[in-house]
Amino acid sequence: MPLLYPLVLASALFGIGLYGVLARRNAVMMLLGVELMLNAVNLNLVAFDAWFADVVHSGQVLTLFTITLAAAEIGLGLAIILALFRALRTVDVDEVGR
Amino acid sequence: MSRRWIYVALTAALATAASIWAVPRLDEPGWFAYVGQGGAGDGPPLPSLSPDLFLYPVSAQVVLLAVGVGLLVQIYSTAYLGHHPRYRSYALIIILFLVGMIAVVGTTNLWVLLVGWEVMGLCSYLLIGHEWQTAEARAGAAKAFLVTRVADLGLLLAILVIGETYGTYDIVGAQIASSQDGVASSTAIGLLVLVAVVGKSAQFPLQTWLPDAMPGPTPITALIHAATMVAAGVYLAARLFPFYADSTVVLTAMAVVAGITMLMGALFALVQTDLKRALAWSTVSQLAFMFAAIAAGDPEAGTDHLISHGVFKALLFLGCGCLMHAVGSSALAAMGGLRRSMPATFWTMSIGFAALAGVIPTVGFFTKDSVLHAIEQSAGEDGGLATGTTYVLLGVALVTSFVTAAYATRLWLRAFFGPVPDGRQEHHGHEAPRAMIGPLVVLAVATFALSIGQPFHLGIGVVGTVIAAGGIAVVVWSWRGGSTLEWTTRPLTAELGLDRPFTSWAPAFARGVSRTVVDLDRDGVDVYPRAGAGVAGLTSRALELVQTRNVQRYATVIAVGVLVLVVAAVIWT
Amino acid sequence: MIVTALAVPFVIGLLLMVGRARVSGPVAAAIGAAAMTVSLLLYALVWEGRDVVSGEVDTSWIEPLGARLHLGVTAVSWPFLLMTAFIGVLCCLWLVARDTAPALVGLVLVISASSLGVFSSLDLLLFFVFFELALIPMWFVIAWFGTGDGTRRAATRFLLFTVAGSALVLVGIVVIGLDGGLQVDETVTGSLAAAVLVCLGFAVKTPIVPLHTWLPDAHSTAPTVGSVLLAAVFLKLGTYGLILFAPLMDRFADVAPYLAIAGVVGIVWSGFACYGQDDLKRLVAYSSIGHMGFVVLAISTRSDVGLAAAVFGSVAHGLITGLLFFTAGSLKDRFGTASMAAIGRGLYGRTPWLAVTFVLAAVASLGLPGLAGFWGELLSLRAAYEIGDVLTKPVAWTALALALVGVALTTAYFVRAIRLVAQGEPVEQDADRDLDRREAVVLGALVVAVLVLGLWPAPILDLFEPFTVVAGVAR
Repeated sequence: MPLLYPLVLASALFGIGLYGVLARRNAVMMLLGVELMLNAVNLNLVAFDAWFADVVHSGQVLTLFTITLAAAEIGLGLAIILALFRALRTVDVDEVGR
Repeated sequence: MSRRWIYVALTAALATAASIWAVPRLDEPGWFAYVGQGGAGDGPPLPSLSPDLFLYPVSAQVVLLAVGVGLLVQIYSTAYLGHHPRYRSYALIIILFLVGMIAVVGTTNLWVLLVGWEVMGLCSYLLIGHEWQTAEARAGAAKAFLVTRVADLGLLLAILVIGETYGTYDIVGAQIASSQDGVASSTAIGLLVLVAVVGKSAQFPLQTWLPDAMPGPTPITALIHAATMVAAGVYLAARLFPFYADSTVVLTAMAVVAGITMLMGALFALVQTDLKRALAWSTVSQLAFMFAAIAAGDPEAGTDHLISHGVFKALLFLGCGCLMHAVGSSALAAMGGLRRSMPATFWTMSIGFAALAGVIPTVGFFTKDSVLHAIEQSAGEDGGLATGTTYVLLGVALVTSFVTAAYATRLWLRAFFGPVPDGRQEHHGHEAPRAMIGPLVVLAVATFALSIGQPFHLGIGVVGTVIAAGGIAVVVWSWRGGSTLEWTTRPLTAELGLDRPFTSWAPAFARGVSRTVVDLDRDGVDVYPRAGAGVAGLTSRALELVQTRNVQRYATVIAVGVLVLVVAAVIWT
Repeated sequence: MIVTALAVPFVIGLLLMVGRARVSGPVAAAIGAAAMTVSLLLYALVWEGRDVVSGEVDTSWIEPLGARLHLGVTAVSWPFLLMTAFIGVLCCLWLVARDTAPALVGLVLVISASSLGVFSSLDLLLFFVFFELALIPMWFVIAWFGTGDGTRRAATRFLLFTVAGSALVLVGIVVIGLDGGLQVDETVTGSLAAAVLVCLGFAVKTPIVPLHTWLPDAHSTAPTVGSVLLAAVFLKLGTYGLILFAPLMDRFADVAPYLAIAGVVGIVWSGFACYGQDDLKRLVAYSSIGHMGFVVLAISTRSDVGLAAAVFGSVAHGLITGLLFFTAGSLKDRFGTASMAAIGRGLYGRTPWLAVTFVLAAVASLGLPGLAGFWGELLSLRAAYEIGDVLTKPVAWTALALALVGVALTTAYFVRAIRLVAQGEPVEQDADRDLDRREAVVLGALVVAVLVLGLWPAPILDLFEPFTVVAGVAR
């Protein structure tokens, strides 16, 4: 499989994620955007790992590491958003910013 | 009571010590002469205050005059001011003053001289302001201190110039150096010294502080503002005479100052309605006499007159204090007819007035005679004053003698003769206590005793006596003719308005400038820190616009930035 | 020895600040006084003579920069050190009062120790470190313990001005360091930039008109010990800096005329400013500017006489202005304000000893011969009269004339102050109270010091006697 396919997919994922983070006002959606970008990176890592046929598979190791980190991040992020919603009854970042 | 005599004892101890030191020096020969040889150094050393005590015969006389009058004044004050709540500070300042005076007279170290000189000025300031509750005393004290201190800057500079010129701050050393090297800065030194002594001795144009110093206690006036401190100006001019002896400029300036001052002071004294103020103007005039002698190149005559004037003027002021004690005022209008009720004061003061007028055989006659003789002699000599100047000075001095005799007689007549003022017939005047009369008697005796051995110059002596007699005669004649001797010539009673620059112009100027400076300091100088603060504030507000607290906008900026960087990197590599 | 003398007050000061809740004010002040006394004694004992560097300590510090821990006492710094330690002792003694905050004592100790460090440093970087170290505690002293309106504002103003000045000095030090190293006894630079930067930086600290506007505010709001330390010690950091750096810079000659003129303009300017003041502490603050003007004039001649004048003038000003500020502080303690109108007339009658002390301090400050203030002024005038190497005759003599005007003005405004406060018909107030024992001890010590230095200036002047005394003046 040529390297191009996963890279295009990763770029698309990253672009969608970036759009989500920059354009959406809903905090949950922003968090989803961040996750998309993270996964685009993961996809890149795995693709290059396979492409270079790395002996120690550092790409895959790093991906596992990132997934763990992403899980922690999403847990913490959702908890903050939940606390925010309880306190302010909204998850719109513009409203919260005020 | 006994407390007060402690200070007298202290003063007496000081006087005794000074006398033991001074008396043996009286007979030594020489007029501020120096002996021995010395070499000039590279430059003056840094100042030091080693005492370097050394007395010439003349200095010894001045020291004895100072401690003598000081002791008498201290005794006199026990009765005059004994019940004053602040007697202690008063008496202690007198002792401090005497120490300062001894330092000025008894040292050859110019810095010690300067310290003593300023200590005297400070004591004068404190004592004029002794009655600091009254506005006149405060104003008089401030004026005296300011005028003399500004003039003292002249002495300070003169000392610096002497040091730079001769490489030492020792008077004797500098004299030796000047005799060896010739004189380079004689005119500068002389003019600076002149500034200093004009201030201290209340000569024209700095004369106005002395009459305004009269709110001080009368014994202090006798000691500081008649006998010693103001005369120290004359002493200093004589002491430093060798440095400027051959500078015609300095001597002429001094002669002009002396001529103006002596006549002006005498005329002002003639029209005063206040005995103490009249005596103050008389002091100004007599000091000018001494300066005239110095300007004529005979400082010895000047210092002789200093001693005799110190004695008889102290006598007059202390007598004036007795009169004030008796009638409660120094105004001539409150006196009159006191000869019966105060015989001791009357007789001693009569002697004092006679000496002031220059009546033979008081010491006042002889020393005035010497001064006139000195002026006459200097005419036609090489160097020194020009002959024309000398004759003008002699003429002014003779006119002044006439006026002096006239005002002395006038004051004498108005205080002791004539009718008792209305409303004061009962209990008018009472003789002062013994502690006050005693010093008067001592001084009166001294007025005669000092004339022993004084020279007599026949020609000028006769002229002087005739003129003095004329002055006395005119006043007595007009008194006999029924005149009240209240001469109020408007410009003279206003003292020619010479006071105005000191009492209104200078303070107004200082106040105006200071207000401007304070305003400028607050609003003008502070501009740049304020402008700096303003610029910083504006910048921060501009930067604040970027900081929107919107995370998404930050992220957009970052994303765009990364994109731009990547594109740029791709294009340029 | 020097290290001990610096460490003792520094450590004790920090301990007092940390443990401020555990000690009472008077105890803290007593401990502080003891620490400063130790420092004073050590500095007095370390002296080995004017021709050598006494008690020298020289170890490596930051090798790549050429900076060393180089401490020592020289003939120039010794009078400054003794004066600073003496003032430090008196400040602590002054704080032996019931309402003292222990932290204030700690701050005073740290400030004094840092200033001592400045005067002991023979390395430019070390000098700068101590120089900065003294600033921050002073901000706390003014901002926390100050009285009156706008203490925080005055403190910040003070900090901004002096830090800006320090920044200039730092750049100057970098330039000098690049040229000739950081050791005072070795380095020399031909850079004009260094001369301008350093002089400008110290001009803020000294202060020289027109960089002085931080000073009156800081002085008038600071607590009494703060004012005393500011006037007696802090301004000396500026003059000492100028004294120390002037010989290191060849191009000082280009800056000197401006320095001299700014100095004497400051004398006259401050004289007029004082004449219009009502607040006694502001008056004394402005008078400090005038006295520093004399010192700056002396330094700008860069001559031996000028050096002696600058050192003597600085030390005498420290003692006299300390005395004036302690007196003004006593008045402020009593009446809650230093305004002459509020204090009222006739202190001679109401609180005689306090009034006499004030008058003596004023008379000393106006430079009466026989008191300490005179010799510094006199030598400044002489230095200007002799012109020196770096000034020209017109500049030097103009400066001399302006300085003389300034002397007259000084007399005028102090006579005015005496007339307004000490003299006059007494109007009794409830707060009238003569000196208590604590005040009498502190003021008495300063009065003695002022008198001794006035009548016996030799101890300091002998350090600088560069001339041979005229030999063989026989009588």
